[in-house]
Amino acid sequence: MEPQLSWYLALSAVLFTIGVTGVIVKRNIIAMFMCIELMLNAVNLTFVAFASFFQDVVGQLFVFIVMTVAAAEAAVGLGIIIAIFRNRESLDVDDASILKL
Amino acid sequence: MQALLFILFGGLAIGCALAVVAQRNPLYNAISLVGVFISLACLYVMLAAPFIAAVQVIVYAGAIMVLVVFVIMLLNVEQEERGRGRLKFLVPTAVALAAVLIAEVAFILVSVQEFPAGASSDIGLTHSIGTALFTRYLLPFEITSILLLMAIVGAMTLARRGGLLSPNARVIPGAQTLPRSLVDPKAAPDDLHAVEAESTEEAARLLDVVDLSSRSRRDE
Amino acid sequence: MDTAIDIVLKFVAITVVFVVVLMVVAYTVLAERRVLGFIQGRLGPNRVGYGGILQPFADLLKFILKEDIVPDKSTRFIYFLAPVIATMAALMTMIVYPFGPETRIPFTSISIPLVVARFDIGLLYVLGITSIGVYGIMLAGWSSNNKYSLMGGLRSSAQMISYELALGLSLIGVIMLAGTLDLAQIVDQQSGWNGLRWLIIFQPLGFIIYMIAAIAETNRVPFDLPEAETELVAGFHTEYSAMKFALFFLAEYINMFTVAMLATTLFLGGWNVPFADSIFGRGTFLFGLVSAIGFLLKVVFILFLYIWLRGTLPRFRFDQLMNFGWKILLPLALLNIFLTATVIFLVS
Repeated sequence: MEPQLSWYLALSAVLFTIGVTGVIVKRNIIAMFMCIELMLNAVNLTFVAFASFFQDVVGQLFVFIVMTVAAAEAAVGLGIIIAIFRNRESLDVDDASILKL
Repeated sequence: MQALLFILFGGLAIGCALAVVAQRNPLYNAISLVGVFISLACLYVMLAAPFIAAVQVIVYAGAIMVLVVFVIMLLNVEQEERGRGRLKFLVPTAVALAAVLIAEVAFILVSVQEFPAGASSDIGLTHSIGTALFTRYLLPFEITSILLLMAIVGAMTLARRGGLLSPNARVIPGAQTLPRSLVDPKAAPDDLHAVEAESTEEAARLLDVVDLSSRSRRDE
Repeated sequence: MDTAIDIVLKFVAITVVFVVVLMVVAYTVLAERRVLGFIQGRLGPNRVGYGGILQPFADLLKFILKEDIVPDKSTRFIYFLAPVIATMAALMTMIVYPFGPETRIPFTSISIPLVVARFDIGLLYVLGITSIGVYGIMLAGWSSNNKYSLMGGLRSSAQMISYELALGLSLIGVIMLAGTLDLAQIVDQQSGWNGLRWLIIFQPLGFIIYMIAAIAETNRVPFDLPEAETELVAGFHTEYSAMKFALFFLAEYINMFTVAMLATTLFLGGWNVPFADSIFGRGTFLFGLVSAIGFLLKVVFILFLYIWLRGTLPRFRFDQLMNFGWKILLPLALLNIFLTATVIFLVS
């Protein structure tokens, strides 16, 4: 049988939940960042599934723009992570929990 | 056949996603995330979106994750240690919520009415995406390009060391008062010992800065 | 039943392409050593077999039988994964290149196109798989737990991702002229006029930028600082021995072959041989054979160009290399796109 739309949505929900779990559980800033990317990809999968099953190209265009935003966010986010590392010498999120150096 | 492929790629995606969360070595996290991206790209091909699949591999797996792996290697990130003492009630709560999630997913899979399966169509081809992107959705496209420009400028500003002036900036004769840390990287920022000079080298000589040329060349 | 025959034919096609690629790559290694020898005023290896023809098999035997040394403190999983990624990414691009036109198999009436897989986004697929190949080198450099490997791996991957941009941008001119991303259609559009429709005539600047960026992508001279022996011991594959080193070596030459095939397909007209269709007639077996041989000859010419450059030019220093890639090649590629778009707009 063909994979239904509900299958794709369920897969996307599971991936999103795994991403949220990762953001909560992980203590390394870079690992948390990677779980955020996982969440963005789960949402991308939802968009593409809807675009395919409703025959509308807007879903795929939005995925295109989400990918661009994710690339921009990755560049700036990693710059911030490097700056935090230079100042605190540690990548543990609990060490960066107050804004004072 | 298609259901088999969906189960294969979906299982691969979920397995790699669990590896991203469960692994403690950040490099293994990154490689598992690349695995998630590639299996999602295969799912996009099954959903008649080949262009998005190729862009996913080029942008996410080929550029963003390369940048993340670079940062992991440069910062020499170590493994996370085992969890410290957690609050005792968190584990049963997590199990209960996971059971709720599985129940919801099972409910969706079993009882939601079937939509018509999307036949392989023209919407995912490059020319239809390009046409829509450049005619009806031109404004988001242009705004995205400005967003990328902002990201480039932001990333370069964040990564720069030693203030906002490049180390080759000349001291303009008689015109400006500049902080001493411009010439002498070891000085405190509010050191007010002043000299008058015609060039950076002369100011350095007058201030007895020994090794002006040892400034990092990577900032150029 | 039809699907089963289709799958079997695809497997046969993949096997044939695989064997052809490995043979060409093995003999490219031999050709490089001989041609470099002649450029440098000496003979290359010519003892094994007549004139050295069996040398690749001797090399293969040597690689298989050597002792396999694994460094003690390396990360084992990534250490074994890196050459696999490099070779896989190099081989996966082979399936989209059209080796020849639709050919009729003699004594039957089956007509098969000489390309393994043909889909709408062929060119993007090649660019995507090339981006994945960077991982092999980075992970090899990191997992060897050796400072020379790490420096070589980081420099090599920085070089590769910098020149990927110029590579992609130089191909946009071709895509604008051809109007499609499908490699088989791009080759079809270059037929006719006996060779005067090859895209190298319409995109000379694009071809030059593509060749320079491609040489940098495959880590060859003059861009091979990250793996030069005088600089970094052996760069990212310092700690690899025997079969894993053979896989890296193979991956580098297959990358060279891929890039040469892409240059041939996009700029030199693919399988179009100038006067073949008036002599043989399209669709016949002889036409297909002559076209496939013409394709391979063009690829061999570009490989010879690679070897010739290796024997002639000195290598770039790393900061000169990055300077060249970002400040000279990238603006030139953008200029190429702008000029192509202007000319297309004015002409039509």
